[in-house]
Amino acid sequence: MYYLGKMALSGGLFPIFSFGWHWSNFSNALSTYEPQFTRSFEYAGIATLLALAISYPLAYWIAFRGGRWKNLFLLLVIAPFFVTYLIRTLAWETILADNGIVVGILKDVHILGSGGRLLATSAAVIAAITYNFLPFMVLPLYVSLEQIDTRLIEASRDLYANPLVSFSRVTLPLSLPGVFAGVLLTFIPAVGDFINAQLLGTPRQYMIGNVIQAEFLSVRDYPTAAALSFVLMAAILVFVLIFARALGTDRLTAGAAA
Amino acid sequence: MTDRISRKVFLRRAAASGSILTVPGLLAACGGGGGGGGAGGGASTVAQRLPKTITFSNWPLYIDVGKNKNHPSLQQFEKAHPGTHVNYIEDINDNDSFFGKIEGPLSQGQSTGRDLVVMTDSSGLPQRMVQLGWLEKWDKSAMPHAFKNLIPSQQHPAWDPNRDYSLPWQSGMTGIGYDPHKVGYDIDSVDKLLTDPRLHGKITLLTELSDTMGLVMLSNGDDPSHVTDKTWTAAYNKIKAAVSSGQIRQFTGNDYAPLLASGDVWACFAWSGDMVQLQADHPGLKWNPPKTGAMIWTDNMLIPKKGNVYGASVLADWFYIPRIAAEVEDYVNYICPVAGADKILLKSDPAVAKNPLIFPPASLLAQTHQFDAKALNNAKYKQQFQNLIGA
Amino acid sequence: MSAASPALSLTTRLPIGVRAWRFARHHLLNLYALLALGYLFLPIGVVIAFSFNNPKGRFNYTWQGFTFKNWENPFGVPTLGGALRISIEIALLSSLCATVLGTLIALALVRYRFRGSAITNLLIFIPMATPETVMGASLLTLFSAHAGIFPLGFNTILIAHIMFNISYVVVTVRARLVGFDRHLEEAAMDLGANELVTFWRVTLPLIMPGILAAFLLAFALSIDDFVITYFNAGTVTTFPLFVWGAARVATPPQINVVGTAIFLIAVSLMLVNITVQSRREKRA
Repeated sequence: MYYLGKMALSGGLFPIFSFGWHWSNFSNALSTYEPQFTRSFEYAGIATLLALAISYPLAYWIAFRGGRWKNLFLLLVIAPFFVTYLIRTLAWETILADNGIVVGILKDVHILGSGGRLLATSAAVIAAITYNFLPFMVLPLYVSLEQIDTRLIEASRDLYANPLVSFSRVTLPLSLPGVFAGVLLTFIPAVGDFINAQLLGTPRQYMIGNVIQAEFLSVRDYPTAAALSFVLMAAILVFVLIFARALGTDRLTAGAAA
Repeated sequence: MTDRISRKVFLRRAAASGSILTVPGLLAACGGGGGGGGAGGGASTVAQRLPKTITFSNWPLYIDVGKNKNHPSLQQFEKAHPGTHVNYIEDINDNDSFFGKIEGPLSQGQSTGRDLVVMTDSSGLPQRMVQLGWLEKWDKSAMPHAFKNLIPSQQHPAWDPNRDYSLPWQSGMTGIGYDPHKVGYDIDSVDKLLTDPRLHGKITLLTELSDTMGLVMLSNGDDPSHVTDKTWTAAYNKIKAAVSSGQIRQFTGNDYAPLLASGDVWACFAWSGDMVQLQADHPGLKWNPPKTGAMIWTDNMLIPKKGNVYGASVLADWFYIPRIAAEVEDYVNYICPVAGADKILLKSDPAVAKNPLIFPPASLLAQTHQFDAKALNNAKYKQQFQNLIGA
Repeated sequence: MSAASPALSLTTRLPIGVRAWRFARHHLLNLYALLALGYLFLPIGVVIAFSFNNPKGRFNYTWQGFTFKNWENPFGVPTLGGALRISIEIALLSSLCATVLGTLIALALVRYRFRGSAITNLLIFIPMATPETVMGASLLTLFSAHAGIFPLGFNTILIAHIMFNISYVVVTVRARLVGFDRHLEEAAMDLGANELVTFWRVTLPLIMPGILAAFLLAFALSIDDFVITYFNAGTVTTFPLFVWGAARVATPPQINVVGTAIFLIAVSLMLVNITVQSRREKRA
């Protein structure tokens, strides 16, 4: 059964590489689209951190204060995504419009200059990515926070007295599997995302996903598109490995069991 | 008589004899469908059978809609051709992606499962499909209306000079859409759009290569229907300068429409059909053909290889009956390619018939240009344009 | 001593940082969570408001006036109703299948060291790391190479959705399993339960929140997917495909109505579920 799932998973992915490419594709692809590569990792990185900052307290709150409403709150986190992306984006465009409330307030407090705008800027793209991947951060965080035995936290309070210390020594380490999963679920798809940059950004915000999309569908340069995606996937897998090593998946397991 | 013709006639005769020999009821029971263009007499007017089902892929909300969400024009077709059902599906959302979708079966010589599809000429894809041999030719003998009623300006596109493979479904013009209150004057100059400091950061151009490059080439006095490296580079550099200066806010698909409506964008390259809809809620918005010339694009009906030629031809011809075209037009509100439809609409819906964006006068159509189909499939140009809008 | 004084003396004895932290934990956290939920719902508020909009043209972009007519006739736009039904069917089926398969894979990965488990661990991330367009196109290549077995349509969309959903399920469920206390299972076995009973009565209830979260994620991914679905849909149209395609000529307010309705139905189903459960608990 497990193998079946594994086969289904890996089987579908490789026909793309039968398009055939040469090594020169790689170097060309890399040098031409380096800014978009860098930008993708930058945007995805910032968005992931923002999502983590927003989600951790929310997930903590649902897990420990949610009571019997927990599942309802979980559903509420997901519910905005029942409204198709395009319609959600139109709503954001209404909210962030140049002469809308948000821009007005930001101008009043001089965060934005008088000619400033939010739409069609990097801020808009990063905010949109953060928003659209929020559930992918909240849910795994909740999943691992929820199973922490509250008695452990109480005991650690007695032990350390300072709740900050008890949080950083007990709650945080116990929730690390969730942080790990949440960061991966947010960061990985965010790097390859193209739709947010396309609808809310200008060419100056285009990410590698936009390039691949255009190479694939408009220019129809399949070798370049395949080479670019291969580089992207390889870079992401390297990231996953480094990240797993840094957080130490083994230590994670041990820490959680302790 | 060439081999091909004789084979075609033979096939028709075979089909005709089939339908003559069988009792219609029995035929329907066998799943054969009713007789096609009436009973045949001599060899010149052989009857041909319509297929039981004709599958027609189109864009969503691109055909007339009746009270019960049905499509009256198609219902009348089915009534006029009993035994034939039109399987109308709205599954084309984007030319490039749709091509990506049907490319697989077509390149392997398989059927796409569709008899009639609608694709835009300015994507360069219909022309490419002609070259690849992926399209069937019309059965013109089954089309008494289409070639009689097609408006003159649409009869001889460069990529399909005799309309052997394609027929217009609807067209649209690309020009300048703007809000006169914000801009402060009536803008009909691409040069002004790209350089007027008043409009800095308040304009958008389109992500469609043909529309954006075409309008800019026209503003340079160049002919977009015959692109050369020189005219290409001139237009490219002009846009590039406007991108670097920050004059251009964004390149958009039709998502410029909400921005123009909300006042975030003041002037932009815009499609006439969108403007018809926007003006319904924002009567202040205007659309101008640039004085240097506007672009025109056309969505074409095509028969992908292995589609049912006779069925698709009869169905395509149906939409060239002015009465039917008027019904479709009254809902769709793009540019109608059928002569005579406006006369019928003049009685039922004069506002639509008199709208110059739906039935443009000949003087306006004379100012419109089509983009060079060869340049549209030039990989170098496409790559440069992608870099321009995505750099 | 009055009832209030022990509490008072307790707080005065604590250092100020701790008191601030307590206060923060009690009120700021609530506030923060509410703000975060508000952020999530901000655009939805606009979507709901615009479901009552009354535009004269076909674009629902700017506010034109209030009306109930879109709600009276939510399926007054052709194709929309059928597309919605297909979307919901696919989302339910694919997230169910993906949740079951993904949970099993996660169990295997966490519990057993088998040949290739390290590779599988990494392979799980490949579908997530693949750009959607590439994933969609490569699946299409795969399906059309076996057109006899996989005619494009409902089933191919379903298979594609299950495939990309599995990874998300595995990662989410694994986050739960990693922190799982296996002593509980051992205790159950010691008490005489066999493996199946242990799994059913102990393991499953304990990882249930993870499974539920994974299911919700998969559902949201599936019902909102455009790119991968587009390639593999054949002539079938799902709700997102309809919306994206229609956007070229129109954005009927009915789209907002339907989105709002799904949202309201899901929330009320959940509320009913909670009320029933708490009643049962009271009776018990």
